Amino acid sequence: MKVVPSRSSEWVRPVRPQKPASAIIEIERVSQVFQTSTRKDHVALSDISLTIDEGAFVSILGPSGCGKSTLLYVVGGFVSPTSGSAKIKGRTITGPGPDRGPVFQEFALFPWKTVLGNVMYGPRQQGVRATEAEAQSRALIEMVGLKGYEGFYPKELSGGMKQRVALARTLAYHPEVLLMDEPFGALDAHTRTRLQNDLLNIWERDRKTVLFVTHSVDEAVFLSDKVVMMSTSPGRIRDIIDIDLPRPRRRNELLLDPRYQKYVVEIERMFDESDLIGSSS
Amino acid sequence: MWQVASLALKNDSFPTAIEAIRAIPDILGDRESLINILASLRRMAIGFGIAVLISIPLGLLMGRSRAVAAFFNPLLMIIYPVPKAALMPIIMLWLGVGDVTKTLVIFLGVSLPVIYHSFEGAKAVEEKMLWSGAAMGLSPAQRLVRIVLPAALPEILTGCRTGLVLALITMITSEMIARQSGAGNILFNALDMGQYDTVFAMIIIVGAMGICLDAIFERIRARLVRWSEPQFDMPLSFS
Repeated sequence: MKVVPSRSSEWVRPVRPQKPASAIIEIERVSQVFQTSTRKDHVALSDISLTIDEGAFVSILGPSGCGKSTLLYVVGGFVSPTSGSAKIKGRTITGPGPDRGPVFQEFALFPWKTVLGNVMYGPRQQGVRATEAEAQSRALIEMVGLKGYEGFYPKELSGGMKQRVALARTLAYHPEVLLMDEPFGALDAHTRTRLQNDLLNIWERDRKTVLFVTHSVDEAVFLSDKVVMMSTSPGRIRDIIDIDLPRPRRRNELLLDPRYQKYVVEIERMFDESDLIGSSS
Repeated sequence: MWQVASLALKNDSFPTAIEAIRAIPDILGDRESLINILASLRRMAIGFGIAVLISIPLGLLMGRSRAVAAFFNPLLMIIYPVPKAALMPIIMLWLGVGDVTKTLVIFLGVSLPVIYHSFEGAKAVEEKMLWSGAAMGLSPAQRLVRIVLPAALPEILTGCRTGLVLALITMITSEMIARQSGAGNILFNALDMGQYDTVFAMIIIVGAMGICLDAIFERIRARLVRWSEPQFDMPLSFS
């Protein structure tokens, strides 16, 4: 497959040179072309390069169809890029692995397992002894606020609870990077807010690297150290914005903070522009 | 109703319900009949068992691999609409009229619905569920056994339930065609000899067998897929 030449350089702020030790994920000139039944191939990603620091919370923000989820799947090893490569700690990603833990919008829990069974699944697969895996899993279930629900099946839980289980299930096998694919996209506004708060609390404890795909500007600014703005058709990086807000972040303080508001307004403006670019091509 | 109808018709070939029911203990008490019926059940169990053991893995593989599906689909599409009993003459020609032929026909009858439902079940498994498993370190084979199989289980068991009823049907049909032993043999011999009370009694016995087997299977099924059943406030009368 031919590499589609990048036209993104005119927008992209040059990626700041990183100390090699701090980079955990390096995406190098990744392009992804899907063959469609119509005559034209769909270019989901065009020449994406991105470096993610260890311990950073990075959001990938963009309108639907900009390939942001595809980019996450490339890092996850679930799809292989048409060209270019993604690396974790210097190793080229060739497939999924327990160093990268996904959390999907669809939850993707194992419906035949209880909450405890779902959370224990990863550690057990990794060879952790049953008693140990159970103790760790129970602690994680408590941490995501589901104590008392260990014996429930996924069908008995609400969407928000399912996503809490999915988060615990992924944290249970200690991935180095969390890959979150619009994890709160299927939830109502109230549940969404609560899960954002809880995710931030959990994250601020151990500062695991997070790659977080979303189309919500508020969510991206609230959670992230860095927001990667993507634009559509073909999917490419439009801009990378550092979110310089103090942590730990509290929603009620942040919403009143003019710096937060400025970020939101500015990124929303860019979002609208990139949406226009997308629809015009 | 049956009793009233038969009394009204006064037909020799339509025994009263009481006559038919009276014949049941005679059949079940008779050693030879019992051996016949047990032989039928044995063939049915073997045919069903082998069919399930082969069809579920095949169906799952077809559901997850385009190449496997492309290879087997045309073959199955040809076999699917053919009444399996119609294949009996050929099979009899090759394998005789014994157990092997009849078991093979039962096997064929059971296989297709089980393959089909396993296939559909495996196809419908959410990709993200498999990805989650892959991230935990499950190999493709482990994913098939430990994710696709349980995820598709409700659908597979629906196919098995259909297969069980088909096993009974093909069992009787095969014994009707190749009379030698079995419940179908008793039934159709009695028909030939004009013992209509035996015919009706056998129909009741076979029918009861079918209902019992299905009920037992349904209990096992409901237990295995409790996690997937939608919860109804109203009990469903037919399950």
